[in-house]
Amino acid sequence: MKLWWNPLVKKDLQVTARSMRLSWGLFAYDAVLVMAFLLALAVIQTEGRGYYSNNNIYSYLIYLFPVLAIAQVCIVALIVPIITASSISGERERQTFDIMLTTCMSPFSIVLGKVVSAVIRILFFVAAGMPIMALSFVVGGLAWSSLLYFVLAIILLSVLSGSIGIFCSSFCRKSISAVVLSFAFYFVIYILTFVPMILNLLWTEGDSTGESMLFLLFNPGVFFEEFFMQIMTGESLFGTAGSNFDRSEVGFLTYHLSQGKAWMFLSAACILCLSILFMIVAAWRVNPMNTTTIRTSGRKKTKKL
Amino acid sequence: MLYINNLTKNYGTFTAVNHLSLHIPEGDLFGFVGPNGAGKTTTIRIVCGLLKASGGSVQIGNTSARMGSKEMKRLIGYVPDFFGVYDNLKVHEYMDFYGSMYGMRSRDIAKLTDDLLELVNLSDKKEFYVDTLSRGMKQRLCVARALLHNPKLLILDEPSSGLDPRARVEMKELLKNLHSMGKTIVISSHILSELSEMCTSIGIMNRGQLIMAGRIEDIMQQVAGGKRIHIQIVSGIETAVRILMEQVGVVVESVRENEIIITNNGTDEQTSVLIGQLIQNQVVLTGFYREEGSLESLFMQLTGGGAQ
Repeated sequence: MKLWWNPLVKKDLQVTARSMRLSWGLFAYDAVLVMAFLLALAVIQTEGRGYYSNNNIYSYLIYLFPVLAIAQVCIVALIVPIITASSISGERERQTFDIMLTTCMSPFSIVLGKVVSAVIRILFFVAAGMPIMALSFVVGGLAWSSLLYFVLAIILLSVLSGSIGIFCSSFCRKSISAVVLSFAFYFVIYILTFVPMILNLLWTEGDSTGESMLFLLFNPGVFFEEFFMQIMTGESLFGTAGSNFDRSEVGFLTYHLSQGKAWMFLSAACILCLSILFMIVAAWRVNPMNTTTIRTSGRKKTKKL
Repeated sequence: MLYINNLTKNYGTFTAVNHLSLHIPEGDLFGFVGPNGAGKTTTIRIVCGLLKASGGSVQIGNTSARMGSKEMKRLIGYVPDFFGVYDNLKVHEYMDFYGSMYGMRSRDIAKLTDDLLELVNLSDKKEFYVDTLSRGMKQRLCVARALLHNPKLLILDEPSSGLDPRARVEMKELLKNLHSMGKTIVISSHILSELSEMCTSIGIMNRGQLIMAGRIEDIMQQVAGGKRIHIQIVSGIETAVRILMEQVGVVVESVRENEIIITNNGTDEQTSVLIGQLIQNQVVLTGFYREEGSLESLFMQLTGGGAQ
């Protein structure tokens, strides 16, 4: 069985391509990006006229990139869980999932196929938004390689969001419950990774975070902050923020990771590992050989062994 | 072909399948019968790898593949009772999708799709969207899909449920056709008359246990050898009742105005002697007949009258 190009990807893309939802989705996506672009441009022009001469407006145009990129990141973070959270539960609702499980496809291939098809669908959106993004590069003066890095970062975010969505989908019978659960999970990942650092600061009365900041390696929000910092200034967010700390205050590993691009790459690797973990659990969960059903007073309840 | 040994499935304290042992020979068309909640679907789902058994084993052919493994799945074609569809997917794309899920190449799938659609009489629907087909057509398409990877065993879970009479006949003909091609088929159904017409053997389940299994001829012979005899009488009904009640092995089940129904455990010769005895005792008969047996009556008898 092919690992990446599996039948589910082909089928999902065929079905999606024929749906009007894709066309409307692309239209809405581009419309939001255009609005964000125009709004950012208007703000920059107003600010430039107010405090600087017109020539200096160009130094502010570099900020078009983060505005558009953040808009795209937010949309992707919103769309992917909706797509994938309904994937397994949607198959269950359509009663096609049982047939799928009787084929030779392994549960992991099914889960992977669902995530890959969601990522490809997101790439449709990213590709549709590319001309607008390109404008921000032309007038903002950023390197083209940054655009490639941005696409890779979006793919990484899609994989994480997709794996969370499918993880939740494997636990829920109804698509709507899976969507709600995946947003809750997403929120938990964003917030929970800050908790060790906050606790450490409270414990040391604000003196040191120790190595607790390493949990932030799994936080996609922090990853994107670091990513934009690297693209815009070439420096690390942690290197800049931690310049007032010495090594003992932030911990040995955190100090060294905050130098150069090490944090960004390690964070990407951690997010990818977390995504794979979610997919493995989802695959284990959907495998009927790992599930038993308990019947209680006429109602069926599925319980993991 | 299919060996089920001591298969058990527990849901907490409830036992859905209780030490079920069954052997279905190659080329058989086996009908699974039982009231709702008898454990038919649970058994089928375990065989197809959709449910984990609490105990026992399932073996197909000479393979030693474990339940739910790829090797096992390759040997089974499964047709569920409900046909789920994808929007915006054409018939040939549907076949291509499931064929590729068995690791088949698109070129091979395309060729097989043509043959199978012809077999299920859907050749002209190849370019149609699946969700536009009628329920009967969808069910036949589902059979074609289940045959794509040339499984040794075809399992159908109530394929006729929800179908109109014409679609049922078409489905029955299709299954007969597949059986004549040498396929081993297991079918669970509530329509007993249909099963008795097409199955070569049947198994009757009740409360998780297999209470009867065997060749359809043997079972129907038991049914035909039903012991209920209707005796139609013009006059002398009291005398007839008295004589009948004196006979060993004869039970008078009911007495109506002009009819007595008895159960006779004796042979045909003993029955004719009994009738002669009635005539000799001035009982005037207009006729008598042995009640024609049916799978339904046997089923009702074995399952304690459990309604379908």
